Amino acid sequence: MKVGYFCTFTPKELIHSAGFLPFRVFATRKPISLASAYIQSYACSQARGALEVAMSDEFHGFVFTRSCDTLMRLTDILEFLGKRVYNIEFPTKIGNVDYYVQELRDFCKALESWGGEISFERVMESLELYRELEEKLTKLFEICADYETAIKVQQTEVRDAIKLVEKKIAEAKKENAPKILLTGSVCPYPEIYEIFRNAGFAIKDDLCTGRRFFEFRRPNFEPHDLNSALRFLAEKYFAKAPCPTKHYSNDYRFEYLLKLAEDCAAVVFLLVKFCEPHFFDFPQLKEKLEEMGKKVALIELEFPVASTEQIRTRVEALREVIE
Amino acid sequence: MRRLKIAEKMRNLMAGYYMLGHNAKVRAWVTSGAPVEILYAMDVYPVYPENHGALIGAAKLGSHYSDFAEKRGFSRDLCSYARCDIGCVFAGTSPVGGLPRPSFLFACNNICNTVVKWYEVLSRIFKVPLFVLDMPFIRKELKDSHLRYVEDQLLDFIKFVEKITGTQMDDSKLKEVGTKSVEAVKLYGECLRMAKNKPSPMTCFDAFINMAPIVCLRGTDYAVSFYKDMKEELEDRVKNGISAIENEKFRLLWDNIPVWYRLRWFSEFFESKNACLVADTYTNAWTGFSEIRSSDLISSLAEVYTVSYLNIGIERMAEIINWLIEFYEVDGVVMHSNRSCKPYSFGQYEIQKKLSVPSVIIEADMVDERAFSEAQIATRLEAFLEML
Repeated sequence: MKVGYFCTFTPKELIHSAGFLPFRVFATRKPISLASAYIQSYACSQARGALEVAMSDEFHGFVFTRSCDTLMRLTDILEFLGKRVYNIEFPTKIGNVDYYVQELRDFCKALESWGGEISFERVMESLELYRELEEKLTKLFEICADYETAIKVQQTEVRDAIKLVEKKIAEAKKENAPKILLTGSVCPYPEIYEIFRNAGFAIKDDLCTGRRFFEFRRPNFEPHDLNSALRFLAEKYFAKAPCPTKHYSNDYRFEYLLKLAEDCAAVVFLLVKFCEPHFFDFPQLKEKLEEMGKKVALIELEFPVASTEQIRTRVEALREVIE
Repeated sequence: MRRLKIAEKMRNLMAGYYMLGHNAKVRAWVTSGAPVEILYAMDVYPVYPENHGALIGAAKLGSHYSDFAEKRGFSRDLCSYARCDIGCVFAGTSPVGGLPRPSFLFACNNICNTVVKWYEVLSRIFKVPLFVLDMPFIRKELKDSHLRYVEDQLLDFIKFVEKITGTQMDDSKLKEVGTKSVEAVKLYGECLRMAKNKPSPMTCFDAFINMAPIVCLRGTDYAVSFYKDMKEELEDRVKNGISAIENEKFRLLWDNIPVWYRLRWFSEFFESKNACLVADTYTNAWTGFSEIRSSDLISSLAEVYTVSYLNIGIERMAEIINWLIEFYEVDGVVMHSNRSCKPYSFGQYEIQKKLSVPSVIIEADMVDERAFSEAQIATRLEAFLEML
């Protein structure tokens, strides 16, 4: 049974361990029509597109984590539409692990009330499977960033996902081209990434459809019971690739991103129109990147993408500037 | 429309408030739903960028100041309070000569997560510390774990301010400020509830114009004395049978932040149709703070501020609106779908279907006049009023 989720901060390991298929909901290629009756046009098209999917496909339930204001209200809207929903209050301010462990305990109870089964053994098994998937994705992306695969695994059973990534690693060829850093939230269309590749760039990213899904720093302890497994999970997600919907001490996200950009020739902000968290960070990040001597461009996306040609022209122009 | 005379006093009071800021030793820029009682108790002067944004909107200078931020790369789709505030910082001025520079920043996300991003931007510009008070969103029930989480942060915040000011929090002073805050909020609530009278002695436009003291000065004697006077004026009106508008035929409720640059247009439009907007959800949001108990101030502040109007699920919001509909005996609801405020606006389509009276949605922006289409809005409202 599919349980839909929207944010990379969702503890998919718990959903999986309870016996459900964690399924990331993305906007599709279909036009957004049903959703327009339930949310305003100034909601981002990822939220509107995801609502469209949620309304038309079969899901057992939906899990939200506190991230942006739009997703916060999308929980209410889906519940209004008669869907089974649960929102985990992931802290906006990264720091208090005890608080989040309690949130995860409450989430386990919710999964049980949805017909799932939670046990220490099953949670450990899922933790292990996702660890394997994350390590393999890291390996694949070290050779060549493969977004078609990164997107697909977020909608596939983790065991099958591991097999898929293994196959891709075997086929992958190392790219030898100037690197470009793509930063933003989601971009669920592999052809957009191909535009950058075809223009002669090797891609590095800071995206929810890329490394933000699989980049974690794992805690240094072995869980011995369910409580410590939840603590492990909380710490794992606190130490994940940062996101602008979270508040970090010492402006950690900026530091992280500037470091990521060091070996890149250019940085492209691939932002979904109306995405407040990313657009607030953009001007000051851009300034700092330019101080580092990086070329910076902003490409604003609306899903489904109406024309890739405009994006192609922008990217090709950027490539010429760098040469 | 017969405007309340108290508005004159409000203008003087707020002019004084803005002046005081320039002489204050320690200043914090703070969000409108943050527990300001702690700041007043520690002699920190609170500066309210949101109020400043409203003031800029009312002066019809929204797009002018926003432009300073847009030129630096801040998107036009961002919250217009934030855009104007950041724009004024870059412009180095504003209708009140710019806000005084902060010693630190205090953002509480019980109204939106936008404020966290906005204040992060400010902390990079001013290079001053930022304290984020993270409040879990209370979609259903308020859990003990949520309360503990907020209480712990309030204690951390006190330590944070103590470190900056170099003085310890005096518990008796906090209690005193808390008591004044409750007193002001109660009086303020009583003022708003005077609109229950038929015909109403005030409109929500009076409430909008006179809300600044409850936002900025709650916890001080100024707010208490101001709302005492406002209440007196309203009582006088009721006693003498003076209504806010000439001929009150319909009673309406406003939802969301006002369209600041069109207050006069809206008030004249509704009056010409004999419709009185007697109440609104925005100014009512501050009445909830009357539940603060001085016996256990920290936990009570945590509780009251966590369940603020914008930090709850739409089911509960609809219940509150239906309560307001019943209490004020309104015939219809005008919902402002506000491009600048996502947590207030998303969910309106659903809330609309849960209301006990008819409603209409108009799309605009609270401060950015470029998002206002007069003919379209007038047509929608006319059709709605005809239907009523």
